[in-house]
Amino acid sequence: MQISVANLVVALALALTFSPLAAAQVEQRPPSLSDKLEKMGPGGPAPRRDLTGAWTGKLEPQLGDAPPLTPLGQQRFKLNIPDPFRAQSNDPWATCDPFGFPRSVTNETRGITFAQMPDRMVMLIQYQKVWRIIWMDGRPLPNNVGAKGGPETRWYGYSVGRWEGDHTLVVETAGVDDRTWVDRRGYPHSVDMHVTERYTRLDHNTMEQTVTIDDPKIFTKSFVVATNRYKWIPDQDDEEQLCVPSEMINYIKTIAIPADEDHTAGKK
Amino acid sequence: MQLRLRALWVSILSLAVCVPLVAHHGNVAYDTSKAVVLKEATVTKFVWANPHTVIQFDVKDDKGNTVHWAGEAGSPSALRLLGWSQSSLQPGDMITVYIYAAKSGQPVGRLNKIVLADGTELKDSALGYRDVE
Repeated sequence: MQISVANLVVALALALTFSPLAAAQVEQRPPSLSDKLEKMGPGGPAPRRDLTGAWTGKLEPQLGDAPPLTPLGQQRFKLNIPDPFRAQSNDPWATCDPFGFPRSVTNETRGITFAQMPDRMVMLIQYQKVWRIIWMDGRPLPNNVGAKGGPETRWYGYSVGRWEGDHTLVVETAGVDDRTWVDRRGYPHSVDMHVTERYTRLDHNTMEQTVTIDDPKIFTKSFVVATNRYKWIPDQDDEEQLCVPSEMINYIKTIAIPADEDHTAGKK
Repeated sequence: MQLRLRALWVSILSLAVCVPLVAHHGNVAYDTSKAVVLKEATVTKFVWANPHTVIQFDVKDDKGNTVHWAGEAGSPSALRLLGWSQSSLQPGDMITVYIYAAKSGQPVGRLNKIVLADGTELKDSALGYRDVE
């Protein structure tokens, strides 16, 4: 059985071409609008300190591996049962509860729009039509959020931003309500979580995003939880994406429960 | 050396037959090994909504009894890119449905595709790539 390296390369290519796994990678995540727009080219250089406009990202970002959890982190993580369509799930998604932050930038990421105001950046998130205010006037993040005498926690926390060079917006967020999940995998966070988002405009049509979590109460190291790549939407008309509680209830009743073997067998 | 190469072949071939990973929302509840073909299905309801689009339809079984089916496909956002729209279906439309039925035995499933009366094929965004014929 003589096999040359060339043969192996051909065989590997063929195997990948015809494998369901390759099909899954290519087709099961159907091409998103951002995939289609990848063909659009750079569209010219990135303007200086300007992200204003509507962008479309991949449906789901690339999620990073979490470092080992602290004992508290493990305890909290066990309580979160993801996948809204499993009967035993307690994913806030199943009831269309707010994703909060940072899940709003790590899950269902088809669209974000930036709108610059003189002293702040407004970020409009397509899914659930959520907006965030990122203060750019040099104010610090609040301290002691959630503690006695401190400001209240918020679903989307408190955010401040600054430009780093001409093409990167850095956003720092703290004070997030700890009911929110970090991502669809169900990672928890504490009220002390600090999140850094970096948005780098590579050229007119392309923006890259990284989301880094620092939360020593839950994670033993800081880590990049998500990376995504956004494309400029040519007609700037962002689509509407809502999680509607009555529609979700209808879907679970019509499809998810009848399709659930255990439920149908009377085990639930 | 020969053995090692053979092992390499085996691993390459196993790549070709391995099971696809679960999509955006899982399809584990469905028998995705074969699509059931349901002809002369009458649409009773078309829900163009998140998280997934749902088509409810009636089909006669072997004994002539009407069975009320529900089939899910991708989100409007994903299906729109494949030619679907909010007005693709109306109650009363007669269609052919290719569906991966639930292992639970209930008349629900994940669509592979539907064929409209005029022959237009509309494929699912997740499992529509599978050739069923």
